[in-house]
Order: sequence, then structure tokens, then C-alpha cells
Amino acid sequence: MSEESAVAIDIGGTFTDIVLFDRRRGRIHNAKVPTTPADPSAGFMAGIDAALGAGGLPASSIRQVLHGTTVATNLILESKGVAAALLTTAGFKHVLEIGRHDIPRKANMYSWVKPKRPVPPQRVFEIAGRLDPAGNEIEKLDEAAVRDAARRIRALGVNAVAICFLHSYADARHERRACELVLAEHPQALVSISSEVLPVFREYERSMVTILNVYVMPAVSSYVAKLEERLQARNVAAPLLMMKSSGGVTGAATIRREPVQTALSGPAAGVVGAMFVGEASGHGNLISIDIGGTSADICLIRAGDPGVTVEGRVGDWPMPLPMIDINTIGAGGGSIAALAPSGGLTVGPRSAGAIPGPVAYGRGGTEPTVTDAHLALGHLTPYLLNGSMKLDRPAAVAAIEQKIGRPLGLDTMAAARGILSVVDNNMVGAIRVVSVERGHDPRDFALVPFGGAGPLHGGALARLLGIRTIIVPPAPGVLSALGLLVAQLKSDYSRTCLQRPLDYDLMRIGRVFAEMEEEAVQWLVREGVPPEGRVLLRQASLRYIHQGFELAVPWPDGGVTRDALDRCMAAFHRRHEQLYTFAQEDTPVEIVNLRLTAIGRLERPTLPRIAAGRGLDGARIGEQRVESASGVAPWPIYDRDRLGADTDLRGPAIVQQLDATTLVLPGQRGHVDDHGILIVTEEN
Amino acid sequence: MTTCDPITLEIIKGTLRAAQLEMEALLERTAMSPVIREKKDFFAGYFDAQGQLITGTNLPLFGHIIQPILDQYPSQTMQSGDIYWYNDCYASNGGVSHSPDQVFAAPVFVRGQLVGFAQSWAHFHDIGGAWPGSMSPTATDIFQEGIIIPPVRLYQEGELNEDVFRIFLGNTRFPEQMQGDVRALTAAVRLGERRFVEMFERFGLDTVLDGFRGLNRQTRDGVVRQLRATFKPGSYAFADAVDGDGLGNGPLTIRMRLDVTADRIAIDATATDDQAPGPVNFLMNPAVPRMVFGIYAMATDPTLLINEGAMHAVDEVKLRPGSLLQPRFPAPLNQRGLTMIRTQNVCAGLLNVASGGQAVAASNAYSIHFFRGTNPDGMPFHMSDGVGVGHGARPYADGHDAVYYVAQENNPAEFVDIEFPMRLLGYGIHRDSGGPGRWRGGCGTVRTIQWMGEDAVMAARYDGVANPPWGVNGGRSARPGRACINPGTKHEREVKSLEDGAPVKRGDIIRFETGGGGGWGHPFDRESARVLDDVLGDYVSIEAARADYGVVIDEKGPRVDEAATAKLRRDHRPPAKLFHRRKYVDEMV
Repeated sequence: MSEESAVAIDIGGTFTDIVLFDRRRGRIHNAKVPTTPADPSAGFMAGIDAALGAGGLPASSIRQVLHGTTVATNLILESKGVAAALLTTAGFKHVLEIGRHDIPRKANMYSWVKPKRPVPPQRVFEIAGRLDPAGNEIEKLDEAAVRDAARRIRALGVNAVAICFLHSYADARHERRACELVLAEHPQALVSISSEVLPVFREYERSMVTILNVYVMPAVSSYVAKLEERLQARNVAAPLLMMKSSGGVTGAATIRREPVQTALSGPAAGVVGAMFVGEASGHGNLISIDIGGTSADICLIRAGDPGVTVEGRVGDWPMPLPMIDINTIGAGGGSIAALAPSGGLTVGPRSAGAIPGPVAYGRGGTEPTVTDAHLALGHLTPYLLNGSMKLDRPAAVAAIEQKIGRPLGLDTMAAARGILSVVDNNMVGAIRVVSVERGHDPRDFALVPFGGAGPLHGGALARLLGIRTIIVPPAPGVLSALGLLVAQLKSDYSRTCLQRPLDYDLMRIGRVFAEMEEEAVQWLVREGVPPEGRVLLRQASLRYIHQGFELAVPWPDGGVTRDALDRCMAAFHRRHEQLYTFAQEDTPVEIVNLRLTAIGRLERPTLPRIAAGRGLDGARIGEQRVESASGVAPWPIYDRDRLGADTDLRGPAIVQQLDATTLVLPGQRGHVDDHGILIVTEEN
Repeated sequence: MTTCDPITLEIIKGTLRAAQLEMEALLERTAMSPVIREKKDFFAGYFDAQGQLITGTNLPLFGHIIQPILDQYPSQTMQSGDIYWYNDCYASNGGVSHSPDQVFAAPVFVRGQLVGFAQSWAHFHDIGGAWPGSMSPTATDIFQEGIIIPPVRLYQEGELNEDVFRIFLGNTRFPEQMQGDVRALTAAVRLGERRFVEMFERFGLDTVLDGFRGLNRQTRDGVVRQLRATFKPGSYAFADAVDGDGLGNGPLTIRMRLDVTADRIAIDATATDDQAPGPVNFLMNPAVPRMVFGIYAMATDPTLLINEGAMHAVDEVKLRPGSLLQPRFPAPLNQRGLTMIRTQNVCAGLLNVASGGQAVAASNAYSIHFFRGTNPDGMPFHMSDGVGVGHGARPYADGHDAVYYVAQENNPAEFVDIEFPMRLLGYGIHRDSGGPGRWRGGCGTVRTIQWMGEDAVMAARYDGVANPPWGVNGGRSARPGRACINPGTKHEREVKSLEDGAPVKRGDIIRFETGGGGGWGHPFDRESARVLDDVLGDYVSIEAARADYGVVIDEKGPRVDEAATAKLRRDHRPPAKLFHRRKYVDEMV
């Protein structure tokens, strides 16, 4: 039997994490190499080599390479995409400039400044031609105008072109024709049409997402090409699969065409990893929280299913593509604690980042951070990463005293606890957004804290929320890489298909689903998914007549019948009640969009079992004074790597490992299961 | 008594903000009136047991809106589960300033003690009256503007008062939407009530109540400090005028004097013109100018909560009954937005007089057009479409281009085409409408519509034609808007500002241009590269670049002719004064 493996690579700011799954032996190997910012593909390949070395496997064993990238995200957030142009319907040159003509609800109108659009109006070209909302042609496409625009775009030296015409969600013909004409005049152009990127109504949002797609396309494309070159050079013939915002992976060819699909993929892999670890420990209802240096990403997973939203944002822009419903806030280990002019204590969203980093890192940071507060209170030992990094506790204490404690009239330890209380409260607020505000009681869920700082906060967050079970993954710092490894192939399709009450057109609904299914199957075939591995899930988004927002609910399998419609509507009423506290069964319901999710099942690893340890005492590596509200006490420190299967411990305790520190609070107990997962529960 | 430590204070602040956002999100998602769901004309907040603001909105439009309820229903008669509803402008002394805005409030009890109110208001689509939509620039009294609802108890201990509710549903042309909106508002305040109780349970009654005091103090100290730094002792005056009232009367001037002593800031608006026969009267709760100054002073510290403390920005507000800002019952009010924005501009004018031109220039008033008529089935229809305008430039940035007002959104073209019997033919920037300046005033928009429905009438609501938003510190005034049916044809017909009843028939083209905001700083000081960018982006014409900014653009390129620009700017720089409206003036009083 030949060797077979799958490898996942997650590139972070400082380290590149690699997880390799040896399919024959059922083993997982981790590796960590420095990130190579100048050319991340170097670290990518070095990491793969390191993991292969650790597993004793040849490169030829690799059957799949799974990867997530933040290239698109960063280009959008930093406004560093390529110069692009937009073809729009005549009369709508300022579609991006005007947007939704609003000032954000929470902004102060005197200080708010309108953000600069990714494409300036001088590169927006108006093209005559018009469809009606049903897709009927009212006015022919002005082909000469398209050709002229293409020539001018070429003369400007601009190669990225987005096309978004009014009502193209209903019929793509004008956009397709314009695309042909642009390519005929400007063969170097990279062209995206909105009817392919996102065929749903609301022209500002659809134009923006189409623009962002071409805006990041050249960079993502060349990035992907570099990775493929590296793999080829090492004779890895396996397909490169990339993580999308929706939490699924897809082939590199799709990502080259629709790179914007990766715009919010960063945190998605972690959610998939959290689900995997939750499943291994027998939990399907989870709240995952990934706490890094600058932000915390939170997701609610119900019965193994993370919600998907089409109302995400990336930076200042709407991102109405399907994405895992992750709530991100600016709260992490590097979040800076500061006093506002009013004297109020704020923690984040400003972050000390990796440079200068927390005061304790001694790299020039002067403002106290969350990490400094943990260190001051004794939650962290003065050494990180197995002693390779020393932390300066006196400096952290001094910064907290000087910047926070003294001005507020609090003693330094109370000020440090205050910093943590504020940041924990911010995170609790963000968890409530995905739980309580969506009609879920957090007490019915287990918390999965991960990322470098997650397990430091898990215990406190769970208490504030009344959550009784905390699942700390075996390697909390590399859970995203594990998530990549276990992700499924996924592709989403949606069409606006407005259906008003009393004459629902079941034929048309059936036709739209069939069209999307055909497209989906073609994609699954392209990705090489055998028929038994294919899953198609239908959804419809509905709303009460006159409402402005839709809710997506599953459409039953089988024929498109009146009965199926009724069941779909019944599900809608229930969902409305759950989310918004009331249903309106006396009110007619309309269908807005139809959606389809295609899943291709990949062979997944199972989490390996660990050996029994030599008892708790064998793992104890010291103790440390911890300042809690009730006083100072010594807390034992345990080495996570020496905690074998079926070990129990009682809080208070500090559990240390290479990439994270877990706090088990007084009154909590910990149990290490046979996968090495640390389950923390409340004693009472 | 338990006090609230500084850490808990911040946590309570965060909890209040989150609860407020949650109420608003629920309302937005479930409401049925397009005014709420697309235009987002709603806000939620909390008040304490005495009706003092605990957390409010960035919109300086509303006064003490709980007080009228307490006047009608003393707090000892309130019970858990009650919900109160009103829209009565005069009974609330401008707490609500036009009848379509409905206030819902739920008293919140903790262990039997009234601790505050969860409140939300939203603009309902139609509440009866003389016209579908309940609004018209031609209104002559408030009874034409729809049903007046004094504070009533819609829910008593959780039970809907069906009798009262049926009366309301019988007084709208669109009962299905009103029912949906009432459900949405009810659910929002119920949610707010629950979140409030949870907060008290978490922190304890005394701690939270002390926290409210602390948060008020924090905001009060912040705004007082900021305003003291802006206003040195002295007396400052400013005046601005609404063009007219829709019935041929005007201009209508708002005059304010600001008297600052070592420990007191007072506003005297008694010299404002008399109330108007038409509906531009703004029944201004004294809280409104306090809030304008408060929000302005809070711009530098986003951590402050908008609450009662912001009202301490100003110690006294003097108004004159019978004036435009304090009309007598039953004067019509439905277009009060125009006067409200002017009032805000007068406040900005005072800030500029006091600071020697270091504050924001004047903004245009958000514009709306309405279409009304009867469907073939005999049922009335009404649609209103809000259109963005230009806002005033600031000492550090251009004014907002094409913005309506805080948090309100436009109707997308694809929404208009689906939902309304019209087709949106164009939606762009109104070139050259922004007041020229070192920082340019925001530009308005041009919305071009083709009417596809039955015969209808239209009304246009815009302002700033006779009195365009002024510029400051060398910045110049904006250019006005215009509404026109079938422009450029022999059937061209202008729709005057605040005109109603202009007939439209199938196929007619309506072009609605909105005005800009005032500029800040001398336009000859604007970087030529920025002016070129404005020209390329169709914000400024080549002609205006030369005439207004002294920047010569070579059409080939196009690029800046730097030599010609330098010469023009050197030789022909117009001397400036503090304010500008069509010409430079030293003061506006």
C-alpha cells in the first residue's frame, strides 16, 4: 500500500503552521516554521518539508494541499489592490461614490469622513443598455460604448475590469456580451461580471463585491501561481485547495476567478477546526472564540452547523457573499488599555501588534496591553515558547500603575484586573451578539477558546456567560491549520427570484434550483468529487411582505411542490420567532433569493489518541503567585505535553504549552481526554 | 449605598450600547414600512425612572420623550408589561416633532421598583390625514398630518389593548404595514426591557443606578470642558433662514444669541421669526440645541455615551411661543426637518463666530420627493424617496458628499424598479453644488426618474435655494438644488421647493437635483491635485475649477497647468471674510 497524506498550511504574521495527516497510519504531525513575508511561498514549502520530515513521508505521498490566505483580506483592508475600472449602467457613474448615502449609525456626523472607494469615478464607465427586474431587455446594450471604454481602459494601463449592470441578477446577457467585447479590445484584461460573482439584487453592494474581486485578483492569482510552482518543483501533483469565507475549500482555479471568496476566510478555518475538536469530544453545540494579538473571532455552531451570513463586511465595504457568521472585535492579547479624555478605561481596538508588542516584550512598547495585565497578575509565567522568550513583569506592572492605576485611583493589581474585566466584557458582548441576539442561550453551548490568548480567557468568559463546559483543543495555537486539514469542498450559488404571495411560481423555482444544481455538479466534477461524495443543499430566503430583510431556511429535498413550499414557510415562521421573538403567521410571505450549497466530501482524519501520562504530579513543573480579587495565592503550573490521557486536575491551575497558556480557575476542574483535549467544567 | 467603580462603569456603558444596538437591529429587520426598513428612520434608547436620558442617539432631533408619558401616567400607576405609545407633538412639547414618528416605551421594573424605560421610535408610513403618507408641504394644520395619539397604554401588564389598537389600524391607509411596524416596535422595546433587567441583575440595583450617574457625569464633564475651550466669555450672534414655508411665506429667519459667562452658557432664540402658516414650523424641545452642542463637543471623544450629561453643554435655552421654533397648536409641522437642519447650522454659526471660523460650515437639508395617487383598484398609493445632499466642510476634511443624514439609507435603483411604478434612470453627483473651499463642501446628487405608473401627483421638499448653505473662513456657499418634470423639453415644468400637487403621468421624466454644503477655508488654498481629482471625478467642472478655485486645467491629459494656476491664484485671489453666502460677509445676524 502506497503512502498517502494531506497537508494543511496556515500562514500567520510570525509563524507558518503546518499540519500533516498520514492517512495510512492515521497520524497527525505538526510543524512550525518562521513566516517569510517577502515571499510567503518559501515558508509555505519549507513548512511542508518540515512536516514531511517529521512524519517520515515523501512529497509524492501528498494527495491534497489545503491552504488559507489573507492576501485578499489585507489588500482590501489596506486599500492596496490593483488599479481597476468599472463598467456600469448609463446614469450610474457614481454608484460607488454615493453608496447607500448614509453615515454609519454609530458615527459622529461631525467627525466622520467618507472612506475613499477602491475605484475612483474617473475609472467608472457608463454603458447604455437596460434590463427590467425580470431580465427583459428594455434597451439594447451599446456595444460601441463598451468597445470605446475598453480601449480607454487599456490606454490607462488598467487591466482589472469589473462589469455590473442593473438587474443583471435576473439575466446575464448584457454583462456576458460586454465581457466578450472588453476582452476583444483589451486581451490582457482580467474581467469579472457581477452576474457570476453575486447574482442578487442591490446594485451598490453587487458592484462593490465585483470590483473587490478584480481589485485583488492579480495579487491572489500570482500568489496562487507561486504556490503551485513551489509544489510542482517538489513534484507534488496534488491539487491545491483554498479556504473560502464560507468555511469550505475549493480548487485554486476557482479562487483565481473569484478571489474575493477568500476575503473573510482567515477566521473560517479556525471555526472548522473548533467543530472538529468539538465533535471529537462529543459536543455539537459550540461557541468558538479565537483570540489572537489584535482581534477575537467568535462563532456559534449549532448541532455541528456554523451559521452562514450574506451580510458581512470587510473593512468599510459590504461583502454580501456567503461567509461563516463570525463576529470579530478588536480585542486580543495586544489590545492596548488606555484612558479616554473623559477618564473612561478602554481596552482595544488599538493594538500594540507584534511590533512593538506588549510592554513586557521589551521591544519598545510603552502602553499596557491585555498580555501585560495577565503577566502582572501572574496568569503568565515570565517565559513563553518553552523559555525562548523572556517577559519583563516589572515593566508591565509599572506601565499599568502609571497609565491606568494611578489616574483612576486604583491599586495596580485592581487596575490589571480592570483591564481584563473590560476586555472580557467586550468579548462577552460579542458572544452575546451571536448567541443571545440570535435566540440561543449560551448555557446550552460549550466554549472552545483557541488562538494564542484564547485559553487564558476561556474560564472567565464561560463564567460570565453561564457556560459550564470549556473545550481546550490539544494545540490551541494551530487549530486553524487543523481546520484546513478537515475542511470540505464547498461552493455556494444564489439567484434573486422574487415570488410574491398568492401566485408562487413553483415551475420557476424548480427551474432556478435545477440551473444552480447543474452548475454545482459541473463544479463538483471539475474538483474530481465522485458522485457518492456529492451533497447538494437547497435554501430559500424569505421575508414577510413589506419587510426589508430575508431569512434563509432549508428548502426540503425532493420535488418543488406546494407541500415543500409550505414546509419551507413553516420553517421561516419558526426561525423568525427564534431570531426576533415573534412570528406573524397571519402575514403573507415572499421569496426573495434561492440558494444552493454544493459540498464535496473529502477524506477526513480522525484526531489521534494520546498515551496515558504519569499522573498529575509528573506534569507539575512549578507554581506561581497569582493575584486574584480574593487575594494572593500560589497556583500550580502543569506542562500540557506531560498531561496524559484521562488525567484530572482541579483549579486553580496554570496549564502551559508551547503555543498557549490555559487558566483553570478556582472552582473549575479539568479533564484530559484520550485525544488530549482538555475539558474544563465547573465543579458546582 | 453601593457605588460603581470605574471599571464597572465602563462595563455598564458597553452593556447599554450593546442593548441599544440590539433593539435597533431587531426593529430594522422586522419592520415593514420602507421608511423604517430601507431608509432606517428609527432609533432606540434608554431613560431612567425620571425620564432622563441614559443612552440616546447621534441624532439631535428629539427631546425628553418619556416626560409626556409620565405626565399622563404617574409612575406609581405603571406596571411591568406595560407599553406606552404616542406621537403627540404638542403634548410632548416637541419630544416628537412631527406626527409620523411613533414613540413606544416600556417601563422596566426590578424587584417591583421602576428603574427606567426601554424606548424606541420609528417613522410610520401612513397614519391617516389628508394625504397618503400623512405629509404634505401644503399642510395648514396638524390635523391634516394624520391621527394624533396622546400617550396611551397599548399594553397593560402584557395584555394588548385591542380596542385602542383597532382604532389605530382604522386610521391608516396601509393597516398591514402598521400592524407589522407595531409588532416590530413592541418586540424591540420588550427586548430592551429584558436586557435592562439582566443588567440590573448582573451588577445590582444600586451599582447600576450609581453607574448611570457616573456616566452622566463623564459625558457632562467632557462636553463642558470642550465647550469652555471653544467659547470664551462674551456674546455671540448668528442667524440663518429657511427659504419658505411652501405656502409663499418666507424667508423665515432663525436668530440665536449665545451668552457665555465664566460659569454659564445660555442660548436665546427669542428673536426668531414668527411661526409660519405652512408646515416648516419646528416645535423644538429645548433639549435639541443642547444636544447639537453636546454631540459637536463629543466628536473628539467617541468613548462618551450620549446621555443626559450632554444636555449640560448648554445651561439655558430661551424660546418664544408663537415663533418658528415654538409654534402654537395646531400649526402644521410635517416639514420641520428643514428648520431643524437650519437650527443645527445656526448652532454651527455660533461655534464659528466664537472660534473665528474653526468649526463646521453649513449643511444642506435632506431632500425628499413624494409621489401619490390611486391604483386602478381604487386604493391609494404613496411613495417617498429620500435623496442625499451635500454637508458642510470642516477645518480638516471635505463635507460629506451625497449623504442624507445620520444612519438613513437610500432606496437602491434595483429596489425602486421592483417596488415602485418608476424606473431610476440615473443617480449621480450634482456637479459644482458643493461650496468651494480649502476643504470643499459636500456635493448633492441628481436623481432622474421615469414615472411608469398611473397618473399621480408629486411633491418635492428641498431648501437652500434662496439661502444656500454658507461657507466659512474663506469657504464659499453651496449651490442649490432644483426639481423639474421633463427637463429640456417643451413640457418642462419646474417643481418649486415645497410644492405639492405637480401632476405626473406615465412616461414623464423627473429630474431632482439636490444642493451642496458650504466650503471651509479659501478655495484658492485647495491643493491643485485635489481640484484635479474633483474634476476627474465629476464633482467640479473645469470652468468652476478655474472660476472658484483658481486652478487652470488643461483638457489634454487632463492635468493642472501649474504655471497658469500660480499666476491666476496670485493675481486674482478674492479677498475673504468670515462667512460667505453668494458674497463674503463679516457676520450673519
